[in-house]
Amino acid sequence: MAARSRSLAPGPRATGAGVARFLIVALFIVFVLVPLYWVIITSIKPSSDYLTVPPVWFPAEPTIVHYTAALFSYRGLQGLINSVIIASAATVLSAVMGTMMAYSLARFNTGGQHLAFWVLSQRFLPPVAIVLPIFLLFRSWGLYDTHIGLILAYTFMTLPLSVWMMYAYFRQLPRSLEEAAWVDGLSRWQAFWMVAVPLAAPGVAAAAVFVFIAVWTEFFFALILTSRYAFTLPTIFRAFLGFQGAQYGEACALATTSLAPSIVLGILVQRHLVRGLTLGALRG
Amino acid sequence: MVAPAALLILVLSIYPLLFSMWVNFVNYDFQIPGHDFVGLQNFAQVINDPLAWSSLIVTIFLSLTVVVVEFVLGLALALAMVKTFRGRGVVMSILIVPLFISPVIVGQSWALFLQRPFGPADYLLSQLLGYPIAISWVGETPWVYISIIVADVWQWTPFIFVILLAGLAAIPPHLYEAAELDGIRPLQTFIYVTLPQLAPIILLAITFRLLDAVKLFDIIFMLTGGGPGTATYTTSFYLYQLGFQQFHLSVATAGSWIFLLLLSVVIMVLVRRLLRAEAR
Repeated sequence: MAARSRSLAPGPRATGAGVARFLIVALFIVFVLVPLYWVIITSIKPSSDYLTVPPVWFPAEPTIVHYTAALFSYRGLQGLINSVIIASAATVLSAVMGTMMAYSLARFNTGGQHLAFWVLSQRFLPPVAIVLPIFLLFRSWGLYDTHIGLILAYTFMTLPLSVWMMYAYFRQLPRSLEEAAWVDGLSRWQAFWMVAVPLAAPGVAAAAVFVFIAVWTEFFFALILTSRYAFTLPTIFRAFLGFQGAQYGEACALATTSLAPSIVLGILVQRHLVRGLTLGALRG
Repeated sequence: MVAPAALLILVLSIYPLLFSMWVNFVNYDFQIPGHDFVGLQNFAQVINDPLAWSSLIVTIFLSLTVVVVEFVLGLALALAMVKTFRGRGVVMSILIVPLFISPVIVGQSWALFLQRPFGPADYLLSQLLGYPIAISWVGETPWVYISIIVADVWQWTPFIFVILLAGLAAIPPHLYEAAELDGIRPLQTFIYVTLPQLAPIILLAITFRLLDAVKLFDIIFMLTGGGPGTATYTTSFYLYQLGFQQFHLSVATAGSWIFLLLLSVVIMVLVRRLLRAEAR
């Protein structure tokens, strides 16, 4: 009965449950892919294909004009560069600080349950409640609409994610190796950097990718804290609000440019997805 | 080792919170100069604003609806995906794609997909149902709510699905074997074995999703802009309009404190329970 690998498609001995399973998964895949396909295919459609009935699903003459327009007329290129800089810097800062804090929480129980609870509760604060004072603070400190400002804001925003993912990871690692390192005369710092961090490297990498994706896709902070200079890719979509002209292709080209990197990264770390989504509360 | 992270969190959360405590009780408005003490006037202004209440109700309605729909769909998907089959890896990769897309792009994509004359949604529905369909997806209630719910369900069903799938896979197989030996029917096995085993994971998934769902902003911003009129103003969108479009900063701050206090009750209860579950 228990063949190791079955086909999802109902075979000759299909049961009712088997058919239902197949239908649920197949319908949801269609639901996921159709709008996504529409956006990606529209990004390479010539404008003359926009409004035809029935809609064009395979453009006869694909074009890249919308990409050049999105990147150069809508400042997509600068947004892309800003997004890469800001997301990379925030990822490094968040991963380093988060790993240090997580190690301390996991090994020395720093601050006990209160510190842990405080960090975790940051994850659930509604951005709208904290962004207003941060906006005023940034204006008075000259951090408004700067890369540094947004990098700090995103490091802060993603710390609960990196701390909690690494906290769960360190608690799984046996502490005997570090204790052996202490016995050998290494300081706690040395034991951390030379023993614990290398052991936890896969966890750090996974946490870093999730932080990067979180920053890459974030909109609200960037909307409030930037304007003409340090704006990120997602904030450019404001330009398409209301749709006065036929900018469908540009909007789709920009969307495709932005979603491709994070989807590729996400699929690469999908083994760690459950841990990432639940801040390490649940192992995959 | 805690210091750098704790310092940053302190500067960017405690300081702003203290600062906004002060803003709560003064005039802080880009249209009215000066910071005079105004007592509870900021709070009164929010509480007396009918839009604050209607946006709160829209927030509660939308977040509860999407969480219920996403839970039902996510559970169905998880049950369908729990056994291995050929091509499961590829199917898995497709199902989780929406999680890695910016919510702003999700809102933008659904706006493009649904809206006439450009979007193919009406055409597809007409073909499917066999008669012409012309729906104003973002211009009319109740369709506008359905559009928001569809976009949110599209993006976040995989969230609940992935968590529940991990929970299902962790249920010890001997429980099912025992149920089979006892001749228990599948539906009863589901009710008496699967659900109780899955309960803590369900709590976890719903806690995370609900606390994110109440922040609903990006999809509203791109898909409906709060409209038609103010029908789809959520609390986040309302406070954004108040603070950053009308620049009534102190009133918006008071409003966000009320929102925070309402939420913190939920956060305290749910997050404490999660921590306790994890400590075990």
